[in-house]
Amino acid sequence: MLCDGCKKNDATIHIQEIINGQKKTIHLCGECAARKSGDNPAMEIGGFNIAEMLYNLTEKLNIPGFQQALQQGGAAPAQEKALVCSGCGWTTEGLRNSGRLGCPECYNTFRDILEAALENMHRGKLHVGKKPGSDSSDESPRLMLELMNYQKELEELIQREEYEKAAKVRDTINELKKKIKK
Amino acid sequence: MAMDNKQKIDSLLKHKVSWLEDSGPDDDIAISSRIRLARNIKGTPFPIAASPEQLNNTRGAIQMAVEKSNCLGASALCFEMEKLSRWEKELLLERRLVSNEFIVRDGGAALIVKRNEAAGVMINEEDHIRMQALSPGFQLDEVWKNISKIDSLLEKHLPFAYDSKLGYLTSCPTNVGTGMRASVMLHLPGLVLSGQINAAIQGITKLGLAVRGIFGEGSDNQGNLFQVSNQSTLGESEPQIIERLGGVIKQLISHEKNARLTLIEKNQYFLLDHVGRAYGILRHAYVLSSEEALNSLSDIRIGVDMGMFSTVDLHTVNELFLTIHPAHLQKFAGKELSAEERDVFRASMVRDRLKNLKNT
Repeated sequence: MLCDGCKKNDATIHIQEIINGQKKTIHLCGECAARKSGDNPAMEIGGFNIAEMLYNLTEKLNIPGFQQALQQGGAAPAQEKALVCSGCGWTTEGLRNSGRLGCPECYNTFRDILEAALENMHRGKLHVGKKPGSDSSDESPRLMLELMNYQKELEELIQREEYEKAAKVRDTINELKKKIKK
Repeated sequence: MAMDNKQKIDSLLKHKVSWLEDSGPDDDIAISSRIRLARNIKGTPFPIAASPEQLNNTRGAIQMAVEKSNCLGASALCFEMEKLSRWEKELLLERRLVSNEFIVRDGGAALIVKRNEAAGVMINEEDHIRMQALSPGFQLDEVWKNISKIDSLLEKHLPFAYDSKLGYLTSCPTNVGTGMRASVMLHLPGLVLSGQINAAIQGITKLGLAVRGIFGEGSDNQGNLFQVSNQSTLGESEPQIIERLGGVIKQLISHEKNARLTLIEKNQYFLLDHVGRAYGILRHAYVLSSEEALNSLSDIRIGVDMGMFSTVDLHTVNELFLTIHPAHLQKFAGKELSAEERDVFRASMVRDRLKNLKNT
């Protein structure tokens, strides 16, 4: 679904308004939602607007004091404006436009941006719910992770046209699949 | 013998939808309770940042894990989205097995669903895994038990992305923590007719809960149907979230009951007229849009709920709530219909259904 605002990006925010009993739904991309909510306070969903929140917070990256704080915190000067996730290549811009993260590692990469945003979105800062079981005797998840790593390697080898190595990795993958299915 | 997609869809249609079939607690007002959990696989890009190959690899791994864990039973059905037609996807959406966002995805997306449709796993929606459980009436505790069991079975085979501080890591930071969205679908014609619904929605929103239409984000509140769900997923445990949400749902149900009683006491003819007119439309219309059908069915349902209207039973109303939607309608027509043809076919199907009731 395209954004009703710019008609260019995909709409990721859907806002319902009821005015005098008339229902209206507006579909917006993160950027337009952030822009709109500035001039129309009614355009919030459930009390907050996630793209706006991230937008406002990432704006802080441009404030000199905030940048300094980042640099003092160990961030390289080259990253002063845009952060890039080492896990998946996701950028500050990607986060700002979509309100989404690219991979689990992004939570580390964009920690500073996220911290305050998470506080506004949720009732607490720490997870207190269900945890993955500590049944370490089960080796299945480890095998699955191994499988996916080999699959990634296989793609890279094929791209580099290293077919001999690729054939070996493919055999390993098949072995692993058999083991997992057992 | 492996079934093709058409056979799989037909096999879904053969069985009644479990969340509409049995009557659940408070089912005069609460239609159904649903919980979905978002999970992702460690070290793997979320669908938004993944390549087509990565999406396929993730899907393969999750399909394997679902099968091996047997978390959805041996007779579970798997639909790979790129192999489905537009209308087959719409049909899954109308049965509330997939989300709006999911059906626009193609490569790498799949749905695996329990044969009775009470639980399912969406693969590569916004997150690698979105699993849901669905039951009739208001029974979030029961639904939580069901979905948590599926989650525990799956995690024995998949390494989920989890952080000790932030909990389950999700593509959208609004889901991080429990990854849980619990919701109850409520039928609130009393609050709508008595003009209290806007105040109720504002109140719910202030409590940090969300109100959406029948098909989730972006859908309108047709048929006086409202889904109320939690927003916050971090800082509270699943049972705490369910308790907080459940408390608000209980209040809403009691407000709705009061609104209905007040209408009967003070405005009996207005209410009877409302129900009677809706029946007139459904029984005699020759052109019926899905919105008009849904709203009229909603009006009839309040009459049925309150014992004012014995011509129609709740089961028929519930069934029609599902079958008047475009994809289901075309499935019954056995062919693709234009929007105009659908409105005519819908009217005829509803007329027949209500006529037959009268004769029995």
